[in-house]
Amino acid sequence: MNSKAYYGEYGGQYVSESLMNTLAEIDKAFEEAIRDPEFIKQYHYYLKEYVGRETPLYLAERLSEKYGTKIYLKREDLNHTGAHKINNVIGQILLAKRMGKTKVIAETGAGQHGVATATGAALFNMECTVYMGKEDVERQALNVMRMEMLGAKVVPVVSGSNTLKDATNEAIRTWAKTAEDTFYIIGSAVGPHPYPKMVKEFQAVISREAKRQHMEKEGRLPDVVMACVGGGSNSIGMFADFIDEKGVELIGIEAAGKGIDTQEHAASMAKGYPGILHGMRSYLLQDEDGNVQLAHSISAGLDYPGVGPEHAYLHDTGRAKYVPITDTEAMDALMELTQVEGIIPAIESAHAMAYAFKKAKEMTPDQSMIVCLSGRGDKDVNTISNYLAGKGYLN
Amino acid sequence: MSINRIEQRMAELQSKKEKAFITYITAGLPNMEATEEIIKAQKGYTDVIELGIPFSDPIADGPVIQQASYEALLGGASLKKTFELMSKLRSEGCEQPILFMMYYNTVVNYGVQAFAKKCQECGVDGLIIPDLPMEEQEDMLAALKGDDTTILIQLVSPVSAARIPEILDGARGFVYCVSAMGVTGQAADFHREVINYLKDVKSKSQIPVMMGFGIRTAEDVAPMKDIIDGAIVGSHFINLMRENSFKPEAAKEYVQNFKKELNAL
Repeated sequence: MNSKAYYGEYGGQYVSESLMNTLAEIDKAFEEAIRDPEFIKQYHYYLKEYVGRETPLYLAERLSEKYGTKIYLKREDLNHTGAHKINNVIGQILLAKRMGKTKVIAETGAGQHGVATATGAALFNMECTVYMGKEDVERQALNVMRMEMLGAKVVPVVSGSNTLKDATNEAIRTWAKTAEDTFYIIGSAVGPHPYPKMVKEFQAVISREAKRQHMEKEGRLPDVVMACVGGGSNSIGMFADFIDEKGVELIGIEAAGKGIDTQEHAASMAKGYPGILHGMRSYLLQDEDGNVQLAHSISAGLDYPGVGPEHAYLHDTGRAKYVPITDTEAMDALMELTQVEGIIPAIESAHAMAYAFKKAKEMTPDQSMIVCLSGRGDKDVNTISNYLAGKGYLN
Repeated sequence: MSINRIEQRMAELQSKKEKAFITYITAGLPNMEATEEIIKAQKGYTDVIELGIPFSDPIADGPVIQQASYEALLGGASLKKTFELMSKLRSEGCEQPILFMMYYNTVVNYGVQAFAKKCQECGVDGLIIPDLPMEEQEDMLAALKGDDTTILIQLVSPVSAARIPEILDGARGFVYCVSAMGVTGQAADFHREVINYLKDVKSKSQIPVMMGFGIRTAEDVAPMKDIIDGAIVGSHFINLMRENSFKPEAAKEYVQNFKKELNAL
């Protein structure tokens, strides 16, 4: 066992033998890169000049007044391409170039990570193929168009449930065949080691900035930090620099779909138990035979049956708390943020907002919280309009 | 039990200077009864049968076995039913070496210790777990230790290179050489350095070396006949069974011919 690959009992490298040397190469290259000041300088250059960082830590005044506590929003929605996903793509694609790879592949559910990867590939002149479940290709036509405009090839995956987990399976299969010249850019804090570590490293910029910004505004650390959790990339980035600050409460918000007592949710920590998927050991929604169950959430970005291994570890150790929020609660919060602050959030981020409103009620006016607003809602207008029209939703 | 059926068969083949022939079928495709008949039909020709335990997310398999797995699951196939089939076969005196090809979550879900014990009770001779590289095998090997009934088969790939000696250290039964990169069931466009790779594995291995992935006919392995000790046919066998409506006679005819041709190479 490679103990470096583990967070407590979670993580590991559960992949076929043909990928083990590839993972070792990536691990070595990654560890060297993050210790190389030139690499770090380049990464931050693109984050600033291309992505548009740093993102604001905005005090949502009207919401703060309404709920009687300070509510800060970390505005990842203002990044180029509309979400936090690009932070990680820039990091991984620079690493891919450094390793001499000429092609990148990615999986995508809603299409946000696919768009971010296609964007990075265009910027760095790399060939890009994105694997996307056939169902998702149909319901996220706009993002498919964006990826194709950016020069990426979008491959509809017809296998299993035709959604994100199957797209991930297909990306892993392709990778196993083509690893010599191809780098797999995983978008979430999942997968075999060193991926969860890499994604955290490249998303940690969220909490590094937020911590300093909060210090500047309030002269102290926040009381609570929260973010939504699908695979867990924006949340691990939002938690990263606060994990060692024991006084800061960390809360991850899982998608409860139609309710955690129904069969239609994506709450892997509330309702799953440890298992193996996509190269890692972590909490997993599975049936009594160990077959992976389909997740459900109105938000495609949270619609994943597993969760990153470090979240599983933070959950078990009690360092972070994970709570479920239903589709309805998220949509109510989405409308509230839109109407009270003039910000249309992604449905994923609206899950975090929904819990923020609940949590705010037990806090005092001199306390403060930071909510990671991981993405903007432009991509969700179809889903939102169908929901508001009472037609249910595309998902 | 002190003798493992797979190791025993390998020893017999070695003394007869014959090559091993191994087939793969997905348990429960199209149903458990058909699987039982296809196993029985191969008696006397196939040296080892790989029974694939269907799983929802078979990341090491190509389209043919993915689809087989999916259909088997829809038909109600499961690990528990496959254990029942094994118990039945063994109680009827079937001595055919049989191993399970499966994904690690199926084992973890059952409980690693309980799973090992159940395999030993039901006479499962070996395990192939493609998403369990040597770094992650500690629990599985510990659970199997002390009883030779069930052994863990090791896989190597064309890019294993420096990892090969460590993988082979303590390996049992035979070593499964993946002949093409990636997943099962690709056409026979063998990896460009496949000959060198097989020679390398063979030179380092104390146990028989088998080649799998993408083989259809005995002729496909002719270029490597002086290196390898046997061949594994998976996706092609499933396609063939499908084309013949899973008739046991078709299985028998194919394995009979393959084994004959393999020995004649």
